[in-house]
Amino acid sequence: MQLRINQTTYEVDAEADTPLLWVIRDDLGMTGTKYGCGLAQCGACSVLVDGNVVRACVTPVAGVVGREITTIEAIETDEVGKRVVAAWVENQVAQCGYCQSGQVMAATALLKHTPKPSDEQIAAAMVNLCRCGTYNAIHTAVHALAAQAPKQEGA
Amino acid sequence: MTRSSTAKTLGVLAVPCLVAAGLLAWYVTREPASALADSPAAAADPALIQRGEYVARLSDCVACHSVPEGAPFAGGLKMATPLGAIYATNITPDPSTGIGAYSLADFDRAVRHGVAPGGRRLYPAMPYPSYAKLSDDDVRALYAFFNKGVRPVAQANTPGEIPWPLNLRWPIALWNGVFTDAGPYAAKADQDPQWNRGAYLVQGPGHCGSCHTPRGLAFNEKALNEHSEAFVAGALLDGWYAPSLRNDPNTGLGRWSEADIAGFLKTGRNQHAVVYGSMTEAYNNSTQFMSDEDLAAIARYLKSLPGDPKRDGPAWQYQAVSAATRLEAPGAHTYVTLCASCHGLEGRGQAEWMPPLAGATSALAKETASAINITLNGSQRVVTAGVPDAYRMPAFREHLSDREIAEVLSFVRSTWGNHGAAVQAKEVAKLREHTGPASASPIILQMR
Repeated sequence: MQLRINQTTYEVDAEADTPLLWVIRDDLGMTGTKYGCGLAQCGACSVLVDGNVVRACVTPVAGVVGREITTIEAIETDEVGKRVVAAWVENQVAQCGYCQSGQVMAATALLKHTPKPSDEQIAAAMVNLCRCGTYNAIHTAVHALAAQAPKQEGA
Repeated sequence: MTRSSTAKTLGVLAVPCLVAAGLLAWYVTREPASALADSPAAAADPALIQRGEYVARLSDCVACHSVPEGAPFAGGLKMATPLGAIYATNITPDPSTGIGAYSLADFDRAVRHGVAPGGRRLYPAMPYPSYAKLSDDDVRALYAFFNKGVRPVAQANTPGEIPWPLNLRWPIALWNGVFTDAGPYAAKADQDPQWNRGAYLVQGPGHCGSCHTPRGLAFNEKALNEHSEAFVAGALLDGWYAPSLRNDPNTGLGRWSEADIAGFLKTGRNQHAVVYGSMTEAYNNSTQFMSDEDLAAIARYLKSLPGDPKRDGPAWQYQAVSAATRLEAPGAHTYVTLCASCHGLEGRGQAEWMPPLAGATSALAKETASAINITLNGSQRVVTAGVPDAYRMPAFREHLSDREIAEVLSFVRSTWGNHGAAVQAKEVAKLREHTGPASASPIILQMR
């Protein structure tokens, strides 16, 4: 089957029910997306599918054929993703960093849909787990992004 | 009345009493006649043994007569009952601890009549009210398989823990007299062979009604065939709600095609549902091994059973809404955080891999047990041809409180057109206690 990942088309040989995460990491060698719990509970494997955040460990690959997948490797080619990464650097969010590619994905998806999210919307979207406990830094970074008036809105 | 006339009266009364007692004693301990009593013992015919292995798959003998990591058919599975635990027995051909010494007639009496050699009655945890419908040929094949196709294992049976006098077996003979039908399945002349094959498989070896037919006060299945509307109409058992297998659009198979049913039994999943609860074992051990013809016959038969709108309520219709737009509703935040990755913000699941919750039986049935149980305890692996699938429902027992589970399930049961009743925290608390690994009051009666 053919997968469209980071604006590149890949031919992959996988069973229909193989988790997308396996294909991305093991078959295509893009290891920026992490395996955490394998049960959709932690968010380390988050990627974007058509701009929505999904957990790749519970996404059968057959379901994303013909859709546009974005992983952490290409997140900075996205306007919002670039701002999120910059805010992450600005606020020095990462500690061990294992969960952070997923955190960046969750924040990017949120801000793409809702440029000025409310506290409640942030709380509902930013639910990925972090064993280092960087939640305060994540909170600061996302609220800083929410407070910035996106350029598109001013135009 | 003089003393002698009293004695005479008592004497006169004693005679019929003794006769009645004698008849009763004979009835409850007799060995019923076997239709196979005069059949010659089968030789080790490989085709017959193979046929018997298939009948054993249809009948899912291994589900109860084995324990995980134990030898196949060596018994030992503990079944909790309200009166005390009982243990499934060794049915390998070991001559002393198994059934190696059984004649074909002995085997037939155990399987189709629930009577062990010597007249001892089996507990109806053994689904002999269903197996009674097995054909003579299938019993012969099953006997050949258990004699020649199964490795003998010397493993003594564990005695039951039901105390005297409740452990007396003879009253079961009276239960049998009231609640079981005699004789193998008789094909209905006004139905075609495929329908009749389906009816045979569902009522007989498949013993679907053991879980899916509601039970009466004496733990009897309320119906053993389609003559009653209670047959496979859905039942609460084992901490799960075994849904209706009739044409009920909400709690049954009303929205499933025959191909959907056959596909579900063959692969464990379809666009409506994925096996869970006790059905996972039935799939892992039994239904996936059924031939395509047999699965089509089962589907054909089940689709012929009418639903009951009075019991089932108004038919479910999907109402599109994203859980993310209902964040103010109690439970919605939990749904978005923990459930939506698999089941979707719109509740539609992911094709046949992740089951939809929109229109799911667990979200429409008035019984809340299945929704609560799978949320607390998760699902087992669905194993197809020896390969476990990649996805499974995690257990939220340690993660969510009774109130959080009640709220998220109430949200699911009232969104996307679902109209199941709200779940109460106390219902969650009760099932949490009964399904706890160290519970002192475990779930009653496991029957498969």
